[in-house]
Amino acid sequence: MSALSQIPSRASSPGPQAGPEAGSAVRAGHGAGPGEGPARARRFPRPDFWSGAGLPGLVFVVAAFVVPMAVVVVKSLTDPSPANYTAIFTSSVYQRSVVDTLQMALVVTVLCLLIGYPYAYAMARSGTAMRTFLMVALMLAFWTSLLVRTYAWQIVLNDTGLVNTALRDWLGLTSAPIHMIRTPFAVYVGMVHILLPYAVLALFAQLRSIDPDVERAAQVMGARPWRVFARVTLPLSLPGAVAGGVLVFVLALGFYITPQLLGGARQVYVGQAIMQQIEQFLKPGVGAAMAVLLFVAVLAVLGLAARFVGLGRILGVGMGRRR
Amino acid sequence: MRAGLGVRLFACLIALLFVTPTLIVAATSVTSGSMVTFPPKGFSLRWFQEVLTDPEWLTALGNSAQVGLLAAVLAMAAGTSLAFAAARSRFLPPALVTGLAVLPMTVPLVVAGIGFYLVYIRVGLSGNVLSLGIAHAVLGLPFVFVNVLAALTGVDRRVEEAARVSGATEAVTLLRITLPLVAPAALVGGVLAFVSSWDEVVVALFLNTPQFRTLPVVMWSQVRSGVEPSISAVATLITLVSLLMAALVLVGPAVVKKVRRRT
Repeated sequence: MSALSQIPSRASSPGPQAGPEAGSAVRAGHGAGPGEGPARARRFPRPDFWSGAGLPGLVFVVAAFVVPMAVVVVKSLTDPSPANYTAIFTSSVYQRSVVDTLQMALVVTVLCLLIGYPYAYAMARSGTAMRTFLMVALMLAFWTSLLVRTYAWQIVLNDTGLVNTALRDWLGLTSAPIHMIRTPFAVYVGMVHILLPYAVLALFAQLRSIDPDVERAAQVMGARPWRVFARVTLPLSLPGAVAGGVLVFVLALGFYITPQLLGGARQVYVGQAIMQQIEQFLKPGVGAAMAVLLFVAVLAVLGLAARFVGLGRILGVGMGRRR
Repeated sequence: MRAGLGVRLFACLIALLFVTPTLIVAATSVTSGSMVTFPPKGFSLRWFQEVLTDPEWLTALGNSAQVGLLAAVLAMAAGTSLAFAAARSRFLPPALVTGLAVLPMTVPLVVAGIGFYLVYIRVGLSGNVLSLGIAHAVLGLPFVFVNVLAALTGVDRRVEEAARVSGATEAVTLLRITLPLVAPAALVGGVLAFVSSWDEVVVALFLNTPQFRTLPVVMWSQVRSGVEPSISAVATLITLVSLLMAALVLVGPAVVKKVRRRT
């Protein structure tokens, strides 16, 4: 599931530091005997064939990604001045936005873990039929576009939407529509629905990796099921919870589409605030400064979590799906 | 320890909640009425017909397909190249190469969007397939990189050495031996890059112009003014393509392996 964890620290073969120019074609590239590669080359590695093979990719990622990111940093400091950052930290509007965003991301993360845990547990500890059903349902949601799923919740939560129609016309419980769209509630529903699969996949991978014998041993020693769960399974599954929770949290921090469609005007989350600065207020400098802070925050959270569970595990959960 | 009945029932309920929104969108797209209602009034494909004959939607569909393909091809080339450097180069630090290749995975789309917007416009790249294709290739290349890197660690170096001993140069060995061995992994990454481009909205919003809009961008602009059966039809089309691609990636390799083993 997480191919990222297979990232090697270095190629395994201990061959000599032979560049294309050093030695014959046959000798270069595979593990030859000691003393064959020149010692100075070993101390000062020189560009070799595989660096050349990597050059197009490096040029591409630097030109198309690193340069734009650097330009964002420059823009945030020069358009008009570094005061962009002090504006963010002193204005109550921006502060409110940051607090709202952190709170929203935290609530969404907690909800995803609370709902995702039993789901992942049922997937890991059931028969094939049940596991297949739960996995297919998960994948169906996971691979439906974020915009489509947000639109779906718009249909469901509208004043004239599915829930209100059901409550009023079918059940006769309400006379006026319950206002759900353009509230934080709708944002939470949409975001939890969109991000829940990441939490489930991380937890599932972790739960599957627990040796069943460990739980069996606890049972044999006389522990009741809930005790086995609380003292054995739950602690062993925590790395999965951390990986899934961190991923959900950093993804939630930068969301734009879902809060924009389902949220109200009162909560402006950071992703929306950045767009506003650029589209409406025409202050790309402030927008860029907020973007820099957002990216730094994401990298800081990822870096911190990587010390506990490894970056490969966190990013590998995405399975090639990005939000 | 088997999951208890309560846990399994709860999981089934969530599973239903997972799929209902997608199914509701699909249901509202085949209504014969002119409004999004539930349950839909009658069955007809008129909204699909309307969408597929509307020049605005069709242009957007074409743009999306072209951008996705370009992004996939560029991501495959760049991602594979970076994976070679990360796994094999003795000159470039692997941590640096890996970091650069994985970094686009961590960047929030809003942040990436601003960067592309600021730079691409200045160099005259905006409002066309090329600019958005490059931007989406950046976002998709980590998937190619990760897959190819994993495949490279499984490549038997003796096969390459045999080619070298037989007199092939390093370049020929790369093209004729190593590349074909990792091509399936690169293709999987390419499909993932296509899907992530296919339904991407935020970066596409930054780089769109009135003359150049992708399917999700047109859908976004219409969704903001309310729900319509025609939007449901487009949403269903987008979803079908995404799911088809996902099935290709998730189930495809296993099927290929099975067929190969049989022959």
